Amino acid sequence: MGRPAHPQAMAPSRPGSTRTAPPELPGQFPFAGRYRGYTLFAWTGVLYLLLGFLVLRVVWALGESPQAFDSVIASFRNPLYIVFHLLALVGVCFVAVRFFWLFPKAQPPRIGPAKPPPQPVILAMLYGLWIGVTLLLSAILAGVLF
Amino acid sequence: MQGLLLKLEPLIWLVFGQGIMLGTILLTGWLLVVGVAAPLGLVEPLGYERAHALGSNLIGRLVLFALIVLPLWKGAHHTRHISIDMGGGDRDAAVAPLLYALAGFGTLLAALAVIRL
Amino acid sequence: MSEQQKKTFVVTRFDPDVDEVPKTQSYKIPVEPDWKVLDALNFIKDNVDATLSHRWSCRMAVCGSCGMMVDGEPKLTCKDALSDYGDTVEIAPLANFPVIRDLVVELEGFMEKFQSVKPWVIRAKELAVEEGTTRQSPEELAEFKQFSMCINCMLCYSACPVVANEPHFLGPAAIALGHRYNLDSRDEGAEERNEVFRGEGTVFSCSFANECSEVCPKNVDPAAAVNQAKFNAVIDWAVGLVLPRGGK
Repeated sequence: MGRPAHPQAMAPSRPGSTRTAPPELPGQFPFAGRYRGYTLFAWTGVLYLLLGFLVLRVVWALGESPQAFDSVIASFRNPLYIVFHLLALVGVCFVAVRFFWLFPKAQPPRIGPAKPPPQPVILAMLYGLWIGVTLLLSAILAGVLF
Repeated sequence: MQGLLLKLEPLIWLVFGQGIMLGTILLTGWLLVVGVAAPLGLVEPLGYERAHALGSNLIGRLVLFALIVLPLWKGAHHTRHISIDMGGGDRDAAVAPLLYALAGFGTLLAALAVIRL
Repeated sequence: MSEQQKKTFVVTRFDPDVDEVPKTQSYKIPVEPDWKVLDALNFIKDNVDATLSHRWSCRMAVCGSCGMMVDGEPKLTCKDALSDYGDTVEIAPLANFPVIRDLVVELEGFMEKFQSVKPWVIRAKELAVEEGTTRQSPEELAEFKQFSMCINCMLCYSACPVVANEPHFLGPAAIALGHRYNLDSRDEGAEERNEVFRGEGTVFSCSFANECSEVCPKNVDPAAAVNQAKFNAVIDWAVGLVLPRGGK
């Protein structure tokens, strides 16, 4: 039949009076239907691990020597690196859009006496922060600012 | 191990949440310029003198630290979820510490890297 | 006079006394244009195969009994229009649950998770009857009302990838209901529930797939509840670091 879920999924602590058939996964999981979006979102975890270590490589070289740093920066001109960074940029934007979609509803209705702003306001703040910080950091890294 | 994971989970989730939010927000600008625009010649690539001057002040060090560490913890936590989703619920007690140790190792290196600047 | 439309239903069958594993059986029956999926199942049971077993009750999406996988998606069969489907419809028991027979799943596992979150108003000290009723404003009600609309249909459990792989996870409906009581202004049991939320069935197992909210027929949005519960559990944990609970 379908693919098995964990054999103990939703199992009671004591077995019932008759034999049960083992639980099965929903058929569309993990690569079909709406699960596709979720699975992609989870798989960006691998991308972020790679990116974290890549930035570390740059910062480590920056503390090493001018030659080491220039060498790392020069290596990014390799077409494979450019393609990777482009795909990574798409991935990061996908994470942002999906996270911003989910984030507002994860805010509790109240923390003590304080209420969060209405959801459209939270959304506007998130996108504003994303665009603003991106523009600022881009300007700094590109030599336009500071 | 399961007990320790349960105790640390709120903290891991907090850092992971910031990894998604702040990490993603910071990575966008980094990738745009350092990853794509500069290598394609659309902007001047970061020179050592300027990069060192930017990176070695306090804010620069903090931003660079965040740029490394936040994605690492988001990555580790989501990779753990991938493992579970692929049927690894029972091996989570072994897989999760390995992934978090990887992120922790990267965090230590990141601290060293920004201190050295 | 036009010929009545027929559809083929490929239904999962499982008799524990006879079958090693579940199998499918096909039924081709005439259908009416205004039928729900449940009407087709009842027609099969009443006219074609009396051995088919399935749960149903209210026929109006309030009892939560008739949840099944229809063409691979968890649905309330009394709410789902048959006209939304093609000429062949696959009907299976809810995913992620052990199957007792045919389309009937074991619910006891859910009941245990449900009870573990203490889904009732907990008071440090009960009010005496003479003190009158507890007052609650419309604003206070609005904070948790959405999460009280759950009909325990368990479609969310069928959709959740974590439920499929982590047997201890409390799951969307149980956490949503526990969170509903944590938000209730009459309740004083948040500390107790947050211990359950951070225990073996930990809310932090949720990976925010949001599938539970996508399939919920009552717009409870359990994903919102679970992730709000994570936030509250973090605050609880942080406060607990600074102010350890004494005498517990």
